[in-house]
Amino acid sequence: MSESLQVQLKKGVLEMCVLALLSGGDNYAYEIASRMAEAVGMGEGTVYPLMRRMQNEGLVTTYLVESPSGPPRKYYKLTKTGALALKSQIDDWKSFELSVRKILGEAA
Amino acid sequence: MTRNEFMTRLRQGLVGLDPDYIRDVMNDYETHFEDGEKSGRSEQEIAAALGDPGRLARELRAEAGFRRWENERTPGNLAGAVLGLMGLATVDVLFLFPFLCAMFGIFIGCSVAVLVLVVVGIALIIAALFPGLAWFGLTGGVELVAVGLVGLGMAALGIGLGALFSMIVNFIVKALVNYARLHFRLINTVTQEA
Repeated sequence: MSESLQVQLKKGVLEMCVLALLSGGDNYAYEIASRMAEAVGMGEGTVYPLMRRMQNEGLVTTYLVESPSGPPRKYYKLTKTGALALKSQIDDWKSFELSVRKILGEAA
Repeated sequence: MTRNEFMTRLRQGLVGLDPDYIRDVMNDYETHFEDGEKSGRSEQEIAAALGDPGRLARELRAEAGFRRWENERTPGNLAGAVLGLMGLATVDVLFLFPFLCAMFGIFIGCSVAVLVLVVVGIALIIAALFPGLAWFGLTGGVELVAVGLVGLGMAALGIGLGALFSMIVNFIVKALVNYARLHFRLINTVTQEA
């Protein structure tokens, strides 16, 4: 796969992946960053601008949990808007993926 | 890069933004270093995985500028949002520079035109409603009605154009921001390794 196609594809699905990750349970940024870095090679530092934007757009909310060691930890939680956004993005993704697969099937 | 170097460069990049916002951002990355060190990584490894702090600061600055414009649509905030996008300094945004300048000029021009229409329209309506004021030297009956209607038309046109115009500006800024976001280096580890 060419590098630029891979990068563009990943950028397109980052938000959907983070929403999907949070739909499985609340999580904190370091964990989200590690999971995303491992799964799709996302730069760890950029999870923060992304989370901030998603928070501004009302897709996620945050709450603090006291930690036995160190400062309180910020958890991210999917909002109702976020859950709806995830659902519609998954639908979009599936229909897009299906169309691409059909065309690739013709080419193969 | 050490943790201290990273945090210092990030803070330098954020200078001028809201202090609460800066504290929030710094906390995020401090916690990231703490968590990373707990899971056994070195400061250098964590900093390398986070990417260039200057670049991160520019992305955060662009995002913050856009938020201010969304919350309060003033010409100053529009300029801020556009400058934030420019700060990303990708070739593509620089390429857009003449377009952005023209857009800002048109924005100012149209705002003034809309304002003048509304103000003059309202002045004409007032002049027609209160002949005693004798603004514009108007005293006659039929003339007053005509002037009042013209005033009403101008004010309505001004408000209508203003609404249409703000929708168009909003659309253009949104489109630009989406364009810029696609160019954020969200996947910088991939691009660096490749």
